[in-house]
Amino acid sequence: MLDLIVIGAGLTGLVAANAAAKAGLKVKVIAQGLGALHWSAGTVDVLGYYPDERTLVEQPLHTVRTIKARPRHPYALLDETGLKDALQHFALLTKAIGLPYLGASNADANLSLPSPVGAARPTFLAPLAQLGGDLGSGIPSHGAPMLIVGLRGMRDFFPELIAENLNKQGHRARAAFLPLDLITDRRDSNTVQLANGLDDPARRSKLAAELKKLVQPGERVGLPAILGMTEHAAVMKELQAATGAAVFEIPTLPPSVPGIRLNTALRRCIQELGVRVEVNMRVAGFHAENGRIAWVETETSARPLKHRAAKFLLATGGLLGGGINTDHTGRVWEVVFNLPLAMPAQRGEWFRPGFLDPAGHPIFSGGVPVNRQFQPADANGSPAYANLWAAGGVLAHADSIRERSLEGIAIATGIAAAQHVIHASNGDDSRP
Amino acid sequence: MNQIETEILVIGGGATGTGIAWDAALRGFSVVLVEKRDLTHGTTGRYHGLLHSGGRYVVQDPQSAAECIAENRILRKTHTHCIEDTGGFFVVTPEDEGDYPDQFKAACAKTGVPCNELSIVQARKREPLLNPRVSRVFEVPDGAADSFLATHATAQAAQIAGARILNYHEVVSLMVKGSDSNRRVVGARVRDVARGEDVEIRADMTINASGAWAGLVAKTAGITVNVIPGKGTMLAMNHRVCNTVLNRCKAPSDGDIIVPIHTIAVIGTTDERVSDPENLTIEPWEVELLLEEGDKLIPGISQARVLRAWAGVRPLYQEGYAGESRQATRAFALLDHKTRDGVSGMLSIIGGKWTTFRLMAEKTLDKACEQLGARKPCATASTRVPGVEQGHYWLGHRLHEVEENRLQSELVCECELVTRAMLENAVRNNPTLTLDDLRRDVRLGMGPCQGGFCTYRAAGILQEMSKDEGRRTASRDGDEVWNVAYLQSPAHNRASDFRPPTSDLGNPNLLLRDFLQERWKGLTPILWGRQLKQERLDELIYLSLMNADHLPDENLTSPMTEFWNMNRQDAKSTKENQ
Repeated sequence: MLDLIVIGAGLTGLVAANAAAKAGLKVKVIAQGLGALHWSAGTVDVLGYYPDERTLVEQPLHTVRTIKARPRHPYALLDETGLKDALQHFALLTKAIGLPYLGASNADANLSLPSPVGAARPTFLAPLAQLGGDLGSGIPSHGAPMLIVGLRGMRDFFPELIAENLNKQGHRARAAFLPLDLITDRRDSNTVQLANGLDDPARRSKLAAELKKLVQPGERVGLPAILGMTEHAAVMKELQAATGAAVFEIPTLPPSVPGIRLNTALRRCIQELGVRVEVNMRVAGFHAENGRIAWVETETSARPLKHRAAKFLLATGGLLGGGINTDHTGRVWEVVFNLPLAMPAQRGEWFRPGFLDPAGHPIFSGGVPVNRQFQPADANGSPAYANLWAAGGVLAHADSIRERSLEGIAIATGIAAAQHVIHASNGDDSRP
Repeated sequence: MNQIETEILVIGGGATGTGIAWDAALRGFSVVLVEKRDLTHGTTGRYHGLLHSGGRYVVQDPQSAAECIAENRILRKTHTHCIEDTGGFFVVTPEDEGDYPDQFKAACAKTGVPCNELSIVQARKREPLLNPRVSRVFEVPDGAADSFLATHATAQAAQIAGARILNYHEVVSLMVKGSDSNRRVVGARVRDVARGEDVEIRADMTINASGAWAGLVAKTAGITVNVIPGKGTMLAMNHRVCNTVLNRCKAPSDGDIIVPIHTIAVIGTTDERVSDPENLTIEPWEVELLLEEGDKLIPGISQARVLRAWAGVRPLYQEGYAGESRQATRAFALLDHKTRDGVSGMLSIIGGKWTTFRLMAEKTLDKACEQLGARKPCATASTRVPGVEQGHYWLGHRLHEVEENRLQSELVCECELVTRAMLENAVRNNPTLTLDDLRRDVRLGMGPCQGGFCTYRAAGILQEMSKDEGRRTASRDGDEVWNVAYLQSPAHNRASDFRPPTSDLGNPNLLLRDFLQERWKGLTPILWGRQLKQERLDELIYLSLMNADHLPDENLTSPMTEFWNMNRQDAKSTKENQ
């Protein structure tokens, strides 16, 4: 008998499964897809704008304490040090799996990284490869002028646009191009194919040689985030050695190579801990007895499969991840257990008229309300099911994209929910 | 102030106005056309794209029906590449009772609309998703029209014949000379909204072809024209669920048609009298009704993904009419203000439908000739616009060309198969102020992701172009070119030509913000299910990944910014009132 089934293989599900497996629980992950990491910048955004979109957060761990003013926000449900501990845990974990995530040298401050349009993204932890682009004072090489290099013909990266906007914001930057056929023979390449291509030592040597000709002394070099997939560390090392400059990645339009690297590394890590990760499994039904989930049933090509476990952790994501769905009548539902939701009452209240409205769109703050143990619960805090927990994007009361807290909420609530599961398991007679 | 002298001034850059400019130029007049936004920004660019056979009107409005079938035959020759030869069905569903079908068949025969009754088996073989419970099916020569392309092509033809087309030129006021019973319109003062300059255009004859806005234009000369703005809402479905235009065989009503157009299908329309042609809101009931009615033609269509909802406003006109807009005539009205209002030098052409735009232009110019004492026959019925040699467009034309020429790596909009060279040539070969103008040129951002990927790419490409080529600062006067015959064809846009850009390419941050807001406007009425998930991905891209809401140049606006934000103020005040 499994101790825990985690439903969802995004960042939330993977860190939760890792925490539970490390504590000795027998864990399985089932998921319909692979989560939102494949679309994201691959950084850990903890809190970028709060309490509204006009207010930049400089020290998220400090600002997050004021979130108690919104007692139902996922961060407000964490222990005093819950967020900080979770982020430290994540930093150590990524170091251990060879894809280290780091923050600013002032450990409480946000980084400020160039976006694919050259805006400054507030984020808390970044993969080592993105760190060198910091526009604030978070890294030693800060303030160095930037050379943004694109590949002529690559459709998902525009170095001139990035450089122009960086200059407008007072950062010194210039743009340059290299030919795309330097690194690929394909007629049609997306970012993943280009990254895979650079795993080939011959290709990356060619890139390093051409790059060297462009760089002027004192410059740091920004490139699209395609610098190798499995050989990423070696690619970075070779480019830095050849150019003698700090080389950094700028994320691109999806698919996100940094996100895929993280997803792959985390999956490998939990699989080494004995966790099975089964994807392409949509939960189509469940059975509850005496207020507990007995099993969930997934659709597969051949026949429905029943998955039994002592406990279940819902990490299916929100409207983006697919954990919550909607229809034209204005109905909104949680797709696995049909849990009660906190949502605007009618379709007419879902949106505001401006796409970039600083207040965001009400529907995106909707989700599953949970109690302080991260169990889906009613207004009195009574759990919907005694053995069900929830974490990540499926949770109500935060618009994680507007406030730039997507990965912070995923990691912190994923770990917190796993800890509550572990805690509950310790006194559990049903455990073998 | 800049002054322009011309014989004919046309106000309005929709199908009718460009048709009039084309007709007038072919007759040998000097012509200037002014449009306050981009060509087709009004009703022409907001209809479902039906090339009428006339079937819709045979019972209620036989004259309109006869005009439609005649024009249908002409446009297939003059604007071949702007039309897809889909054919059309009028189908009798279980909800459509009574003797309408027999009336319909008889009226088709009487008005000369070819009508062939098919067996249900034949019909379902062609349209497998058609409601199996239909009892009768009549086939008519309906078609699908690309009204953006057709208008651009007409503008190009007009320009070749000598007309000047000035978009983003808004009429401030008509200029009137004389007093009392001896008044004469002698042109118009217009504002070049891109540059903020006024231009005085003096004309022997001013033709008001501004559709739903005709009353507002006429008012500046003290003339009352009561246009009945009839709002029609449409839904674009993610799939081309049928290859034939499907009409309900009953008296015209809401949601009675599905038009396959390019890669999608459009369910149309509602019809509601509104007071303002600009600020059209789409009500939830309209969306519900269209989906419900769509299900009667194609069961299950309401469960499919909806890409977008939009509304156009029919410029219906009936002298002295005050009833429901559905009952107002679809025929057009040519107002001779000399006899009607005692004001010479101006005609207004109102009403009608896209299919009859050429005929409306012909009648208008006949009247203008009569008043100007000129004898110049109409030539539009036998003149082909540039590009017709490509033949009718068909569903796979872009994919075929992309595959044949291996242009996959060039795609900047994968949804609509727009290549980088198509985009660059569209920028260079007709005036571009916003990314939305490029949408009308090459269908940028019209597919399932609604600009999610291509908005960034287009802003990046335009920024590179402005960097490479420099911004043009000279006056735009006389320099516009509408070279659009092959704009839609990936194969004909293999490399971008090096003509300097004809317009200010604008600030990329503004282009990006404006287009995101423009797309959002048509999405909110239909965001649920997978399209809502898609929109959340677009938020992830533009907020989380790009941080596009914190870009420099935050306070810049284009002439369109206010229009796309139009409902925002209203919504805020409603909220405050609650």
